[in-house]
Amino acid sequence: MNPLRIVAGFAIVGVAALAAAANSDRWFEDVTVKAGINAKHSNRVFHNPYAQIMAGYTALGASATVADYDGDGFDDVYVTDSKEGGKNHLYHNNGDFTFTDVAEKAGVANGNDENNATADALWFDYNNDGKPDLLVLRFGHNQLFENLGHGKFKEVTKAAGLDRYMNAITAVAFDYDRDGKLDLFIGSYFQPVNLFNPDTPRFFPESFETANNGGGVTVFHNNGNGTFTDVTEKVGLKTSGWTLDLGHADADNDGFDDLYVACDFGTDRFFHNNGNGTFTDITEKAIGFDTKKGMNVDWADYDNDGFLDIYVTNITDDYMREGNFLWHNNGNLTFSDVSRETGTSETGWGWGAKFFDYDNDGWMDLYVVNGWVSAGKDSYVPDIFEMVTRPGIDFADARNWPPMGNKSLSGYEKKRLFHNEKGQIFKDEAARHGVDSIKDGRGIAVADFDNDGKLDLFVANANSEPYLYRNTMPNGNHWVAFALEGTKSNRTAVGAQVRLTAAGMTRLQFINGGNSFAGQSSSRVHFGLGDTAKIDQIEVRWPAGEKEVFTNITADKLNKIVEGSGKKK
Amino acid sequence: MSYRTLSILAALFVSSAFIPTMLAGPADDAFDQGQQALAAKDYTTAIAKLQQAVQLDPDSLRNSSQLRQAVLRQTIAAHPKEGSTADFDAEIAFFQKAAADHPMSSNILLNYGFAYVDKIPAAGSITQVILANTALTQFGKSIELKPTWIALYTRGNSYLYWPRVFARASLGVADLEKAYAMQKSEPKKSYHVRVYISLGDGYWKTDNIEKARSMWQEGLQAFPDSQPLKDRLSKQGDDLKTYIDNVLDPNKRVDTDLKELWMQS
Repeated sequence: MNPLRIVAGFAIVGVAALAAAANSDRWFEDVTVKAGINAKHSNRVFHNPYAQIMAGYTALGASATVADYDGDGFDDVYVTDSKEGGKNHLYHNNGDFTFTDVAEKAGVANGNDENNATADALWFDYNNDGKPDLLVLRFGHNQLFENLGHGKFKEVTKAAGLDRYMNAITAVAFDYDRDGKLDLFIGSYFQPVNLFNPDTPRFFPESFETANNGGGVTVFHNNGNGTFTDVTEKVGLKTSGWTLDLGHADADNDGFDDLYVACDFGTDRFFHNNGNGTFTDITEKAIGFDTKKGMNVDWADYDNDGFLDIYVTNITDDYMREGNFLWHNNGNLTFSDVSRETGTSETGWGWGAKFFDYDNDGWMDLYVVNGWVSAGKDSYVPDIFEMVTRPGIDFADARNWPPMGNKSLSGYEKKRLFHNEKGQIFKDEAARHGVDSIKDGRGIAVADFDNDGKLDLFVANANSEPYLYRNTMPNGNHWVAFALEGTKSNRTAVGAQVRLTAAGMTRLQFINGGNSFAGQSSSRVHFGLGDTAKIDQIEVRWPAGEKEVFTNITADKLNKIVEGSGKKK
Repeated sequence: MSYRTLSILAALFVSSAFIPTMLAGPADDAFDQGQQALAAKDYTTAIAKLQQAVQLDPDSLRNSSQLRQAVLRQTIAAHPKEGSTADFDAEIAFFQKAAADHPMSSNILLNYGFAYVDKIPAAGSITQVILANTALTQFGKSIELKPTWIALYTRGNSYLYWPRVFARASLGVADLEKAYAMQKSEPKKSYHVRVYISLGDGYWKTDNIEKARSMWQEGLQAFPDSQPLKDRLSKQGDDLKTYIDNVLDPNKRVDTDLKELWMQS
């Protein structure tokens, strides 16, 4: 035998062994293609006098939203496209980590035509019948699909009173007035100028830091009869920022959910729910005024102190060092930014970010996607700053903005998976776990797709294929999950807070109605328990206001909790 | 020649001999009063008196520099951290008018530029770029009038704060090399250490690592106690990058107090 071949053979064995060792340390496996969930997203190409300029600023619309639409016990995913004629996808979860696109059959595929481009989507049970309905948000006219059951949907947009032109980019649904029905909060990026045929060139942001000529927020009150009423002004939420994301949660634990509005090109806003059907803008007191580019809002109690904190992504690059916000909730409707102290400040051109406990250690970790446009090797930065420094420039006029062409802007950025080190700092483990791709990420959806107690990740990327990362963590940490059903409260229990006590520690989670940019995660509440399998109790504060305690909860399984079945507190 | 004529001539001589003192006197008085008010944290009086000093002696580096320091202290007292952008607008307007009134004063232009620099940390990131660019314009005008060491150092150093994508570091190196040549032909001053630091940083930012280290080494020979030079020379690779990126972070306030210069002038 040739001795060189023997050496080469050992070398190959050695490399293979190293690769195996490396893989065992990697807890997420890219199963996108294997799962059949790899349809590419394409940005919308406009055909108007400003098309070349708009191309750089509308690289949006890749989103992923999760719900178990058919009630079979497995979370499904709706994934959007944006190109003209591009189909949206409803991926039915087959239960074995494969998916089947049933969007055409279900009647929810056609979201993109010459007058409409899909930007995002939201599952919410608008008629409170226990079946998640689907809202498709568009630059154009939104679509509301009623879930008829048996895998069929029917468009009810007009009947629901939601048919109007909006440049919608985000939405959340929660019961702000505690009447038992989910109300709808829609954030729009551009003002309602028809982007497909604008009648004015002045539809771009008037400022990079204080723009107030955007689409703002629109609030639709759920009338309980299948219709909605625009109550934006009545509830005190009339805004005109360049809204990119909305995030709701009960900041002061008073039983009413508050609202954080993240705006591009200007000040984020914080609205306190007064508990009487109105909100008050308390931005200055709560977070102060910023000039940043708010992209994402997600809420979670990252330090397990009983109050929900907020993570907002902004832009941090060589040419624009804004830094993200990790707003620590001080418990008195004020927040302190601890992003620098916790190591979560710099994540490039941030987009979707989502808290979740990927290793079931009882501390909420954080995944952040980023990257604006990854194209040619030339940078668009000098072009944009040439415009910015031109004296007397009218930013609102699209004609003044330079076309991006094939240039890149904050492209090829690595994603971050921040492991929460007991609420003190976060350590980036993205490279270790193989989730540090350089595609232009937009939305994140977290769900336990195979019900194995380990949270998986779906990432929607702009102008590219998505990623489905299966969590293959080998550790034996315990967990417990809850599916809540409201009876007096809204049926999907959006807004419910769950406080779990185990091993001398109480942790808080809540059910949100679509928080985080271009993504909606599972409506199940998932707690990591570490090495503890014994749960002392859970306390549920239902959206309608009542508190109930549940004991004898079994770990390592999904538990169904129905309002009214616990011990009242 | 009569006694009266002699007396008049003598009086004229005496008067003309006193003219500079008489002109500088009120400016000095105003400056002193401004300094006292500043020490007492009476910012309104300090700013008014120092503005008066600038108006009386517009090309004084001292008067303009201290006026900016007074504004800075006032705004940070009112708005902790970095102040509010609006707090700097009156100061900028003052220097804009002063520059128009005294178009041949290079130091007014220099401080006009510094007024924009002072505002940068209080601004959003895009406004920071606009402010930095406007500051550069004023520094350039100052250099056109009089290419002084401080003006060349200031503009050269300012270029280094721009991210690499703007490719302005080489312009900074050019200015700093001129300032370096100037200081080599002058008696040594404590502030000359700044050029060794910044020119080295400029070489580093234009990927001339050896030249950077050599400049810092030369600086350390001339200024053996310089901690910034020691810090740079003790670091390599990513550590050095992190250190210099941190130093040249536009979000951090740059020390624009020119006291070291005017005290030694």
